[in-house]
Amino acid sequence: MTLSEKRFDLPISARIKDLKAKRERINKDMRLNFERNRIITEYYRNNENEYPVLKRGGFLHAWCTSREINIDDDDIFVGDAGPRTRSVHFDIEVTPHSWFKACFGDTDERFRAAWQVPGSVWVTDEERAFILDAADWWVGNDIASTGRGLMPPDWFEQFPEGMDFSMFSGSYPGHFCPNYERAVTVGFGTVRKTALEKIDAIKADTTYGDVRSELFYRGIVRVCDGMIAMSKRYAQGCRDKAASASSERRAELLKMADALDWIIENPARNLWEGLQVILFYQNLLTADGTHWADSPGLIDSYLGPLAENDIKTGALTQEGVQELFDAFLIQMGNQIIMFPKPTNDTLIEAHNNNRTFFDLQGGMQNLAAGMQITVGGMTADGTSGVYNIATEAMLLSYYRLRVAEPSIALRINQYTPDHIWALGVACSKRLGGMPQFNNDDVIIPAMHNRGIPIEDARQYGVFGCVEPAISGKEWSLPANCGIFGGGFSMTGLLNFVIHGNIDPLTQAQGTRPCKKLYEYESFDEIKEEFEGQIKNAVNRMVRFNQYAAFIFDTAWPILSASVMTEGCVESGKDVTWGGAKYNGHGFFINAIGTVADSLSVIKKLCFDEQKITTRELYDALANNWEGAEMLRQKILNEGEFYGNDLDTPDQIVEWFTNYYADYYMSKEGPYGGTLNPGSLDLFWVAAGKRVWATPDGRRAKEPLSHSSDPTQSAVKNGPLAYVKSVAKMPWYKMRFGGAINLRLDANSVNSDDAEAKMRELIETYFDLGGIQFHFTVADTSVMRAAQKSPKDYQDLVVRIAGFSAYFTHLPRDVQDNYIERYEMGV
Amino acid sequence: MDYQNVPGRVFDLQGYSVHDGPGIRTTVYLKGCPLRCVWCHSPESLKYSIELVYLPIKCIGVKLCESACIKSCPQGAISEGVAEEAMDKSGMICKAVVDRSQCTGCLACTSACITKALSPAAWDTDVDEICARLLKDRPFFKRGGGVSICGGEALAQFDFTYNLAKRLHECAIHVCLDTTGYTNLENIKAIAPFINLYLYDLKHMNPEMHKRLTGVSNEKILENARYLAKNGGKFYIRIPIIPGLTDDEDNLSKTAEFCKELGNAVELVQLLPFHEVGKVKYERIGLEYQLSSISPPDDDFMNKTLALFKSYGLHVQLN
Repeated sequence: MTLSEKRFDLPISARIKDLKAKRERINKDMRLNFERNRIITEYYRNNENEYPVLKRGGFLHAWCTSREINIDDDDIFVGDAGPRTRSVHFDIEVTPHSWFKACFGDTDERFRAAWQVPGSVWVTDEERAFILDAADWWVGNDIASTGRGLMPPDWFEQFPEGMDFSMFSGSYPGHFCPNYERAVTVGFGTVRKTALEKIDAIKADTTYGDVRSELFYRGIVRVCDGMIAMSKRYAQGCRDKAASASSERRAELLKMADALDWIIENPARNLWEGLQVILFYQNLLTADGTHWADSPGLIDSYLGPLAENDIKTGALTQEGVQELFDAFLIQMGNQIIMFPKPTNDTLIEAHNNNRTFFDLQGGMQNLAAGMQITVGGMTADGTSGVYNIATEAMLLSYYRLRVAEPSIALRINQYTPDHIWALGVACSKRLGGMPQFNNDDVIIPAMHNRGIPIEDARQYGVFGCVEPAISGKEWSLPANCGIFGGGFSMTGLLNFVIHGNIDPLTQAQGTRPCKKLYEYESFDEIKEEFEGQIKNAVNRMVRFNQYAAFIFDTAWPILSASVMTEGCVESGKDVTWGGAKYNGHGFFINAIGTVADSLSVIKKLCFDEQKITTRELYDALANNWEGAEMLRQKILNEGEFYGNDLDTPDQIVEWFTNYYADYYMSKEGPYGGTLNPGSLDLFWVAAGKRVWATPDGRRAKEPLSHSSDPTQSAVKNGPLAYVKSVAKMPWYKMRFGGAINLRLDANSVNSDDAEAKMRELIETYFDLGGIQFHFTVADTSVMRAAQKSPKDYQDLVVRIAGFSAYFTHLPRDVQDNYIERYEMGV
Repeated sequence: MDYQNVPGRVFDLQGYSVHDGPGIRTTVYLKGCPLRCVWCHSPESLKYSIELVYLPIKCIGVKLCESACIKSCPQGAISEGVAEEAMDKSGMICKAVVDRSQCTGCLACTSACITKALSPAAWDTDVDEICARLLKDRPFFKRGGGVSICGGEALAQFDFTYNLAKRLHECAIHVCLDTTGYTNLENIKAIAPFINLYLYDLKHMNPEMHKRLTGVSNEKILENARYLAKNGGKFYIRIPIIPGLTDDEDNLSKTAEFCKELGNAVELVQLLPFHEVGKVKYERIGLEYQLSSISPPDDDFMNKTLALFKSYGLHVQLN
């Protein structure tokens, strides 16, 4: 009997239940990770003049060899990136000095009310003193300083406050897919050996260009030495613990110690070792910089053979395999990045309302550091699928444990077995859109069309929310959803076109002068101006993105990624110098529905049918619809809107998304890599607050439409029309991904064959050219009930964008918008 | 055998209709029904004439639209209601109030109402127009789905349903006919070649009771079912379980027996427990809801009924 045949009654072991309960307990009592920040501050202070790539290697080595070895009595796997399970991470070198001052330099009374009451993330007086002192040293030495020292004048003009540094401050940009497979199946010992051989070769004949490479290799050796030492320190820790443990636990700890002596340096020999390597490597990445939204890639492809061998040799039963995946999932979810940064005001208010620090953090994807696990796929030669015991066990762990983090993506292709489909749909139905479904038939050709050999294209994994990248071979760090260095919003451009290059909300001027809505003579003229605005915005953004990527060059190398990313050790270059085999940067456009509906109103009602004059519409918009309610109602009821399988709005979507995609792709990205379009938006409620009224009838500051989804209230023709409209976007060009996100009411998925029908719906969306599919099953009544008594609905998980979240932890306005989001009742 | 582009009257069209037959289906709902089942959950489907639907929630107050609906009504059936707070909390508004006793159903107000708070309960269309819309969903039908034609009673608009089915059949679309079976045998014979599956209701086996509960006797219904079963028709038989009305053991046994008699033609029996979803629809079109005192059957009873049908060797499902 396979696992899936008994999926619904496989019991969860007592140890796993305890681990899950422990996590809930810790959520009420969290700690910041000061350890890592002490170690980096000390190392950087004492070695100020060391070349940056050596300094980074030195810090990582110091972290590995001096950090606290934390082994809990109930650990199945060991290690956290901090000194304590579920430590909350931040990076002192990217966090604004002003934040430290505001939080820890506040009055004693307010500091204590924010950070030293039950439910807060506890900061001791000693930690407070340390961080204030350390933060002072980092002024002028941090990443923002490097950035300010090199960004061009036009960037400062556009972002006078240095806005984008504060946006990424608190975590590194992240978003990449380093080669965990190499860490598991090759090991740091071999990488170290290769680096030493490269150094020897350089020593024999050193060119000027070799110097930087040799420095890089010396940094890599430091990282490898550190990681090998850390694993052995954990081995010793297990032995120490074994001395006083019960006999059963003693045997387990000694076995773990033997394995820990072996792994990291050498290839993993069994499933436990493979999973432990992933966790250690993840800890390294988190300690280096909280690189949120990175991904261990196609874990089943490299763990499956280990698990199958364990079963074959009798080392593990299927229940044993399942328990390891359960424990692994819980442990992966323990990486927590502090984002957004709370203020003392928000913390004190939360504590006064019986809410915890975790509540403030819990709604967004910073839990589990925004990581994404990918399962399923196909072999490099494309002749068979990769769906094995690890694929199934991983999915089953999500199904059983009902956890929302890290995210999980399931790859779908012609080889996907029925039982994986069934498990995927059942899991997604129960767990608010996890896994998300990825269409190999669109993603692989999209990659291949961008110059990636087909064998590598078949090995893509998903990182971040929805972004596909070549697992272990592609560097995408400057991505950070495209905004690092400065992105743009489609609704912002729309408003420039309407208001003559002015944003009516802020009165800020754009960089491309243009007419006002009533001055255009045809819809074609408006289209032309919108294209011009897209081009202008893309040009500026790409320029700033190149600069932003350059911030890392030399000064802030990322050795934790380079040590395993294919191409770096081979070429002697850090990932931030373009060392990865592939470089792919991406940018998401947002609010497809709001933009399409607005342009559709202008085209149909103003120009085609001439029911409204552009002057009338302009005046109504300028006044944020004040005194124009009947006009607004006319638009809402007579406009043709995206999401209904109607030609006018859907053709507008096809036009501007193709235009953006083609133009963006035509340019060269950082390190000579590709620029890849996508469509996603995580903050459509918050972003809406910064956008003036739009012609689709939306008032200023109301939420925007979500990602590539239609506007909630504009969907009138049901889910099939919805799906068809979204499928019309040129997803085959959108190598950076994008979500369709359906919310279905429980009644539509409760019949015996509902899961099969859900599969049909996803398959049809994929036939039509759709790239990724997410759905949430939840009743409005359930969500309303959850708002009333959050304690009873802690497990309610909903899909937000490229990630899922615990409903009760979402901000109230996002909850309300989510409830309003179109519900496909049947 | 060309179809004819005849007119028809439709009150709804739903995609991803997962409860009306196999696969992903788009269901078209036809207006008018000769039966009057006391538990009917789509009262808006009963009459052929087009009622006025009023959704007060969409009314933004008659001040803003300068009393468009009130002015448009030749009968003076619409008036200004008492002041209440607007949904968006922007102030007090007076919504339209419809006096149903004065309304003649001329629908003039539905053209005047800009927010569509007042709207017609159905629209007139023809085979070509509705087909063009249905065929848009064709990509979703590839894996076993198709179109379901529902009522009211779809066969009450026989010309339209016949030609629509014929046209869809020509396009190689899988067609389900959701029917009470209450029609002449000639109609059944004529349409049978174009129907892949019947969603066929058996409401009560006793002719007297059937008449009491639905207004018509069940003789034609049973006869038509027998004819179709003998002539290659395939069925999902649907049985409403209405506490106190259709749920006595004798009736349920006889129904199961009848299903068994139809033999292999019956692919599935679906038990439809009474629910109260229809209640709000009565209010929208100004009708009184009759079954307020009945509550849905409990799980125990439904499981017992399920077992009963299974004991007849039938493939049975709870919907």
